[in-house]
Amino acid sequence: MSVAELEAHEVALEAATGGLWRDAFRRLVRNPAAILGFALVAIFIVAAAFAPLLAPYAPKEQNLLLVARGCCPGPSHKHWLGVDQLGRDVYSRILYGARFSLIIGIVSVSIGLSVGLVLGSIAGYVGGFVDTLIMRCMDVMLAIPGLLFAIGIVAILNPGLYQIMIAIGVVNVPIFARLLRGSVLAQRENDFVLAARAVGVRRPVILFSHILPNAISPVIVQGTLAMATAIIDVAGLGFLGLGPQDPATPEWGTMLTDVNDYLQSAPFLAIVPGIAIVISVLGFNLIGDGLREALDPKLRGRVGRFRERKAFWFLGRRAASRA
Amino acid sequence: MTTDGAGPLVELDGLKLYFPIKSGIVLDRHVGDVRAVDDVTLTIRRGETLGLVGESGCGKSTVGRTILRLYKPTGGRVVFDGRDITSLGESELRPLRRRMQMVFQDPFASLNPRHSVGRIVGEPLRTHGLAGRRDAASRVRELLVTVGLPADAATRYPHEFSGGQRQRIGLARALAVNPDFVVADEPVSALDVSIQAQIINLLERLQEEFELTYLFIAHDLAVVRHISDRIAVMYLGTVVEVSTAEALYDEPLHPYTISLLSAVPIPDPVVEREREAILLAGDVPSPANPPPACRFHTRCPYVQPTRCRDEVPRLRNLTSGHEVACHWAEDIRDGRVKPHEVEPVFDPGMPEPVPEPPPV
Repeated sequence: MSVAELEAHEVALEAATGGLWRDAFRRLVRNPAAILGFALVAIFIVAAAFAPLLAPYAPKEQNLLLVARGCCPGPSHKHWLGVDQLGRDVYSRILYGARFSLIIGIVSVSIGLSVGLVLGSIAGYVGGFVDTLIMRCMDVMLAIPGLLFAIGIVAILNPGLYQIMIAIGVVNVPIFARLLRGSVLAQRENDFVLAARAVGVRRPVILFSHILPNAISPVIVQGTLAMATAIIDVAGLGFLGLGPQDPATPEWGTMLTDVNDYLQSAPFLAIVPGIAIVISVLGFNLIGDGLREALDPKLRGRVGRFRERKAFWFLGRRAASRA
Repeated sequence: MTTDGAGPLVELDGLKLYFPIKSGIVLDRHVGDVRAVDDVTLTIRRGETLGLVGESGCGKSTVGRTILRLYKPTGGRVVFDGRDITSLGESELRPLRRRMQMVFQDPFASLNPRHSVGRIVGEPLRTHGLAGRRDAASRVRELLVTVGLPADAATRYPHEFSGGQRQRIGLARALAVNPDFVVADEPVSALDVSIQAQIINLLERLQEEFELTYLFIAHDLAVVRHISDRIAVMYLGTVVEVSTAEALYDEPLHPYTISLLSAVPIPDPVVEREREAILLAGDVPSPANPPPACRFHTRCPYVQPTRCRDEVPRLRNLTSGHEVACHWAEDIRDGRVKPHEVEPVFDPGMPEPVPEPPPV
């Protein structure tokens, strides 16, 4: 067999039967950056889910004796990431804080995604006056900067956990609505939609079984990226004092606010929550980028070996010898 | 009212379809129409293949889609099997969709990439409740075999097939409801020539097997001649000539048809050398602003000083079954009117040559 034949054979094996979703999944798991993203998000989720088991102390447990000789003692074998100004174990608080970020992220993105999905698909599929009405409302919402808008909503609803979820959810609505409307508009004119109409398929069935499955890819990507922004926004609102009103709540943004006065004497108190935010946001961003590449129809059938090599540049020799 | 067996299957009576041109930022203002189909009267008889030919953009696909009521006509009537379907709603049309189906030009765009072949072919069955779950699977396999695909193709996805195979899948989908009438919208123009022949033969075999009536839309004159019983020629939204396939090719009567056919090469070097192709002047005028009276007069090599520019030519029966929409058809046929040079209209021309500035 010639090299070309071998390659063709290999391609045929790789393009084994399966739908486009399965193809996309195959491309996704071969993307090292996405794998790294999944790993980071997995750490984040495990921390949130098993915080009571993993944390050596309760998140609100104070031990002022530890800070009796000034703030604040650094990491030690008893307190891996040190203690804060009230003698609370930072490691435990970070683990519990992941719960807030994760729940707020999931709930707010779900709100934004579901409302945006409904509005966007109605606007795109029905068109005409309905489309104009919905999209102009979305434009008005988009005209206000995201975090400012969220602050405004929290100000109306009073600060608190649920209010933050709603605020960030509402901020996400126009983003999803606009994205989906464009996608639906593009898919609506496709021949297979016309074919479905010629067959006599009912309009809602056309929307749900023909248009949405083909229009949803960018929304999935946006969903993961929105998770990342939601985590930042939660921390931002917490930092501004609009988060959970109990000051002892181990929310990452609130934790950053509390240690404002100790930045010079104990910088790790700010660095640790900062790193936690960075890790979770980076994880979701990497997954989002990986999904974007995996779901891109232009890359259909390609496996991305070039990228694999490029992404593992720091492993240098091994990757090079494999090639 | 259904008159089974008697009368033509499809009748178009003065069919008009205008696409509105809108402009405006906040409020859409109606500023004009693209007259995709303008006053088309046609009949399609039971069991025949009517070829519909014309340049791109002349409205032939729109005619096909309007017959299937995928568009709502602006004017005129569509009669299917004796029943006026011009203004039926989506739900009233649904039972009729079992009887008329469509095959699309682009085999890559007309199949949903996220659905398996079995789901695509089985969709009409599910939509019309024609088969239970188990029956549907075996019916799908049967259909796939009928169009020359392996039965296990049902579990695979469209992107795993070639263009010709995909077109077969599209055919299987159209056949699933056991239709009487199929609009084949350029079913072979996206395929390789060798594959074209296979699909054409398949279409002919299926017509015999299932007693189908075809509206075969194409721009390839050779393909249309091969498959059609009768042919209608369209130009800029109107039908200019209708006749049997042989008569049209032997004795084209409309100047547009004459020039179209003169462009088809003849596989005989002696004849080919003697022949002179008629080159039409200028471009096809915009369907948003078509020429008045005879729409072809701006490019017609036979254009006459009278009538052509101020009187709409009606489609009239010249010899039995050979209809033509030209005032001068008899004179052209009998050689009393000769082709002559036509100045192309709207020729932008070359810009005035600007003298080059002297080098500094």
